[in-house]
Amino acid sequence: MKILHSRSLIALSTTALALPGIATADAPPTQSTLSYKISNYKEDKLSRSEVPFGDLDRYDIDVHQFQLVSPISRNMSVEINANYESLSGASPWFTSTGLNGEPIVNLSGASGIRDRRSEINIGSTYYLENGSFSANLGYSEEDDYRATYFGVNGEQHFNNDLTSVSLGFSYSADDIFPTDAKIFNRVNKEDKRSTSAFMSISQVINQFSSFQSAISLTRQSGFLSDPYKLIDVRPESKRQISWSNSYRRFFKNANAAWHINYRYYHDDFGISSHTVDMSWHQNIGRSIKVIPIVRYYSQSAANFFTNVDDFLKPVTQYQSSDYRLSAFGAISGGLNFVADLGQWTATLSTERYIANEKYSAYNVSKVSTALVSYNRISLGIEYSF
Amino acid sequence: MDQSIKRFSFKAMGSFCEVQLYAKSRIDAKQVVKSIAAEIARLEKKYSRFRDDSFVTDINVSASQRLGVKIDTETKALFDHALTCFEQSNGLFDITAGVLNYIWDFSSNKVPSQAEIDQILPLIGFSKLSFKRSRLYMPANMQIDFGGIVKEYAADSAAKIARGLGVQHGLVNLGGDFAVIGPQPGNQPWTIGVANPKEDKSLMAKIDLLEGGLASSGDYERFFMHDGKRYSHILNPKTGWPCAGLRAVSVAANLCTVAGSVATIAMVREESEGINWLKESSLPHVYMDSEENIGGVGLKT
Repeated sequence: MKILHSRSLIALSTTALALPGIATADAPPTQSTLSYKISNYKEDKLSRSEVPFGDLDRYDIDVHQFQLVSPISRNMSVEINANYESLSGASPWFTSTGLNGEPIVNLSGASGIRDRRSEINIGSTYYLENGSFSANLGYSEEDDYRATYFGVNGEQHFNNDLTSVSLGFSYSADDIFPTDAKIFNRVNKEDKRSTSAFMSISQVINQFSSFQSAISLTRQSGFLSDPYKLIDVRPESKRQISWSNSYRRFFKNANAAWHINYRYYHDDFGISSHTVDMSWHQNIGRSIKVIPIVRYYSQSAANFFTNVDDFLKPVTQYQSSDYRLSAFGAISGGLNFVADLGQWTATLSTERYIANEKYSAYNVSKVSTALVSYNRISLGIEYSF
Repeated sequence: MDQSIKRFSFKAMGSFCEVQLYAKSRIDAKQVVKSIAAEIARLEKKYSRFRDDSFVTDINVSASQRLGVKIDTETKALFDHALTCFEQSNGLFDITAGVLNYIWDFSSNKVPSQAEIDQILPLIGFSKLSFKRSRLYMPANMQIDFGGIVKEYAADSAAKIARGLGVQHGLVNLGGDFAVIGPQPGNQPWTIGVANPKEDKSLMAKIDLLEGGLASSGDYERFFMHDGKRYSHILNPKTGWPCAGLRAVSVAANLCTVAGSVATIAMVREESEGINWLKESSLPHVYMDSEENIGGVGLKT
């Protein structure tokens, strides 16, 4: 849409856009889009001081994502997603203490891990006068993991489309069957169930700004431990809550939009976290957009986190040295480019992420080994027809 | 996709309506045009002040009634937009000004007396309307007329309906008010010729439209000369006398409704203020002033 210059014009456009015949209700896509994205995610090598023996390489993952969105009737659209990931590298196997009593990490297998993940997801959206209803079904498979999931979501607009409320529910049933279970005395086959419900409300404040707030509740039950760790015992159920907020504002003089998001998370493992991110969506001309992003994240440790595995502890007692359960902070920055070339759209995104206990906003009583830092780069193309 | 341009025309809202769209077959296109025509007919039936069965007539009949009249969401939204027009024009674009037509009879070329005008003026003023919840309370003998807004709104609404039916390339022309359904194939604009009110069959300007709409306002269709003075049918609701500003204005904007409101506000203002208003809007526009000079910006050469 054209950028409106005068205050009067904004006033006239605001009331005109509220007219029911003009107000943009939900509409199914009128075009089909086919997109493909390739991403590489590479964790930094660990240092020799953290890993006295063996390989230092961690995960290196290539991801291929295909998506087709297509209208199938006046009120309906379908969406098909197919993803393929190939992973190599190593993950922490167990932690122990070094010669000076400092925690050290031992990575899994000298030859590292190789795995592939394939996923397919099919969804459909039905558009109503003042909202939409959608459902999706998905299946994902790895050498040692299988997940089947579905979700439903309804959205309703009120107040001349200035307010929308959305409710959703999803369920996932996962099976875990670790490789080389016999050799390493791993569990044979376990399962896990996740149930999630969420509600969100979005409000258009004026022509230039909007606000959204969402609450999501999740309950997981079953085998929640890491089967590849020598010792990792976690509770069999977990309840989590997250509260997300986002504010967007368009600056017409700069021809740019500012997005700020804040998310609070808490679960009954004892982890609480805060995430704040900000991005600036700068339009350059009609077809180029440059988006710098910064993000800060910090979490507290799970109640049973340890940085040195305790092999003497009874297996009925919880413990895990997974760095993702430790208290830490992380800073990441990224730069995205989007080029709109008529029927084609190309995107390039890059991200650098660094986790460190020094960045933590929470008290760090046990410093985790093997906190991750990574680079991510992805390139995507989209074709509309 | 193998699409070609299809053209249809019909009469609606007392004017010539033309729809151009790209479709695979004329049968597909006809379905779209049917829906467009139905939407325009719906709005005409609801908002024409010339029809006894229109909702606007119900509203006008309700003047002075203590219970007022219940108005629906769409009508409330039109009142909201009319209020914005009233405010942005400092009271010169007023949907309650229609009562002046009782004393200004453009078919008889008769100039009313100041006494007649003074009798009518107290019946004009958007700010005299009051709204409570979904009801409108209107003082006795006042009338409202959405004529200056509804035709443009109908063009926008028709274009939206066509988009909802999957039309990607098309244009609605409702009696000179244009709304783009979507650009011509290959993201090419529609070129709209703005007629020169002075000379038949010549153009005052051409404006390219990729999206949004174009609307025109002018006093060249209805005016009369009396004692060598030109009396425009565009009346000043504050004085009750014809406006003496610009002769004709066409504006392109993000919506035909916005273009129409900007054009009308330019017409009701004093000539130089009208030109400034157009400049400040930064919208592509063309105008003819009282000396018949043509000006504007953002035009196709």
